[in-house]
Amino acid sequence: MYVARASGLHQLHPLTKVLTALCLLIAGLTLPGNWTSYCITLLIVFPLSAWGKVFPNLLHIVWIVSLPFAISVLLIQSLFWGAGTPIFEFWLFAPKVEGARYALISLGKIILVMSSFLLFSLTTRPDALMIALKQAGMPSSIAYIIVTTLQIVPSFQRKGATILDAQRSRGLETEGNLWVRARALVPIVLPLALGSLMEVEERAIAIEARAFNSHKAETSLIEIPDTQFQKNFRTVTLVAMPLLMIFGILWRL
Amino acid sequence: MAFINIQNLTYQYPTSKAPVLKNINLQIEQGEFVAIVGPNGAGKSTLCYALSGFVPHFFKGELSGSIEVAGRQSSQSTLSEWVLNVGLAFQNPFNQISGAKYTVFEEVAFGLENMGVPRTEMQVRVEAALQLTGIADLAQRSPYSLSGGQQQRVALTSILVMRPKLLVLDEPTSQLDPIGAREVFNTIRNMAKDGTTIVLVEHKVEWIANFADRVVALKAGQVLLEGKPSEALTSDLLAEQGFGLSRYTSTAREAKKQGLWKKDTLPVTLDEAVEGFKQ
Ligand SMILES: Nc1ncnc2c1ncn2[C@@H]1O[C@H](COP(=O)(O)OP(=O)(O)OP(=O)(O)O)[C@@H](O)[C@H]1O
Ligand SMILES: [Mg+2]
Repeated sequence: MYVARASGLHQLHPLTKVLTALCLLIAGLTLPGNWTSYCITLLIVFPLSAWGKVFPNLLHIVWIVSLPFAISVLLIQSLFWGAGTPIFEFWLFAPKVEGARYALISLGKIILVMSSFLLFSLTTRPDALMIALKQAGMPSSIAYIIVTTLQIVPSFQRKGATILDAQRSRGLETEGNLWVRARALVPIVLPLALGSLMEVEERAIAIEARAFNSHKAETSLIEIPDTQFQKNFRTVTLVAMPLLMIFGILWRL
Repeated sequence: MAFINIQNLTYQYPTSKAPVLKNINLQIEQGEFVAIVGPNGAGKSTLCYALSGFVPHFFKGELSGSIEVAGRQSSQSTLSEWVLNVGLAFQNPFNQISGAKYTVFEEVAFGLENMGVPRTEMQVRVEAALQLTGIADLAQRSPYSLSGGQQQRVALTSILVMRPKLLVLDEPTSQLDPIGAREVFNTIRNMAKDGTTIVLVEHKVEWIANFADRVVALKAGQVLLEGKPSEALTSDLLAEQGFGLSRYTSTAREAKKQGLWKKDTLPVTLDEAVEGFKQ
C-alpha cells in the first residue's frame, strides 16, 4: 500500500506513525461528542496526510471503501428506525431523521479508523515497520505476520482481478444485475480462499529456507533514523492512550 | 565419503496412505550437478524437501533411513541449522517473495539479515549475487511488480546469496523463456564448478543434457535409473516407463528402427540430432 514520496511524514520513525495513528483513533472513538471523529479526521488526519503528500490517495481509498457502506447504513438505519421524525413518507417507507443521524455518526467512526490506518500505511515502508517492531522487542514472527498482513490486501486485489479475468474469459458473467454478480462471486472467492490456504505452507517453507528462524542476532540492510524528540513523543502517546480510554469510560458512566 | 549420502530413505507424509519415497539410496559428490527427472507425483519435490530438511522437520510424517549432507545427519540437526548449509528454491516464485521487503535488493538481503551478516558485507554480497544471476537492473524494483520469470530469478538469487553448500532447485526455470533459462543454467553450472553441489528437478531434458553431470530418474518414489545424461535420457527403460523425454530422442529412435539413424547412441538435444542425421 506504501506510496513513495519525499515528505517529512515519510521520514518519521515507523513507530511514531503507528502510535500517532492509534492515538488519534482512540481519541476519536472515546472522547465525548457525536462528531468528534469527524473533527479529528478533518482537522488532524487529513492535514497530516497532505503533509505526507498522500491526501488524494487516502481520500480515494476512503471514498471507494466507505461509499457502499455509507449507502447501506444510511438506508437501513433511516428506514428501520422505530419512532422519530420522518424526513418524507412514501408508501411503506418513512426514513427518520434520527436514524440518518445515527448512521452518519457511525460512518464518521469508520472513516476515522480507515483514514488513520491509511495515514500510516501509505507513508510507511512495510520493511521499515518490521525492523522497527523488532527493534522495539517484538518477536520477529509476530512482526512478520503484521507486516505481511498489511501487504496481503493489495496482493488479494491483484489476484482477485486475475481470477476475475480468467473466469470472464471462460464465459462467466460478472456484469449485470445484483443476482448475476452475486452468483459470479463464488467462482472468484473460492479459488482465492483455497489458493491462499495452500500458499501459507509454501510461504512458510520459503521464509524458513531463508533462515527466518535462525537464532542468530539479526542485522538489517536499511537504517531507520530516529530522534530523541520522536522517542519522547512516543512516550507521551503511550501514556495518553490509556488515559483517553479511561476518560472515555468515566465520561459515559 | 560422499558429500551427500542418502541411505534406505523411506518417507510417508502424515496424510498419505503409502510411502512417497521408497528405500532411496543416493550418493552425490561435492560440486556435482545432479538432475532429477520423473513423472508427476514421482516424489521429486518430496526428495527435494528431504534434502533441504523440510522432510521431516517441517512436514513431520514417518521417515526411516538417513540423510547426510556435508558430514551431518539431518535427524541430528534442527531445521534452522540445516538451512544454513542447504538452500532450497522451488517452482512458484510468487510464494517465495518474503512479502516484507520493498525492493528486489532488500528482498535478496532478507536471508542475510536473518543470518546476522553485517550491513557492509551484506551490500557487497547482494550486489554480487544480483550480478551473477543477471538481475542487477531490477534491484530497485518492487518484487511484486515483476514478471513470473523475473520473480523466479529473484527467488533463486535470494537463496544463492546465502552461499549454501548444497543448492536444491525444484523446477526453478519453469516460467523463464529459453534465453533466461540458459542464463540461469549457466549460472548454476558455474556455481557447481566453484564447488557448490546442485540438485535440480527439471522437466526440460535438453537443458539437463547440456548442463548436468548426472541424472537420477524417480518413479513412484523409487530410483529407477541413474547415470550420465546422454545415457540415462536416451535409455529404453525411461522411454518404456513413460518419462517425458526429448522429442529428438524419440525421433531418432524411430529413425533407427527404419535404418535412418546410423549412430549407436541416441541424441537428446537438437544439435546432437542434427549432427547424427548428417552422417
Ligand atoms: N504435503 C503433502 N501431504 C501429503 N501428500 C503429499 C504432500 N505433498 C505431496 N504429496 C504426495 O506425495 C506424492 C509425491 O509428490 P511430489 O510432490 O513429491 O511429486 P513430484 O514428483 O514433485 O510431482 P510434480 O512433477 O507434479 O511436481 C504425490 O502422490 C503427492 O500426492
Ligand atoms: Mg514437484
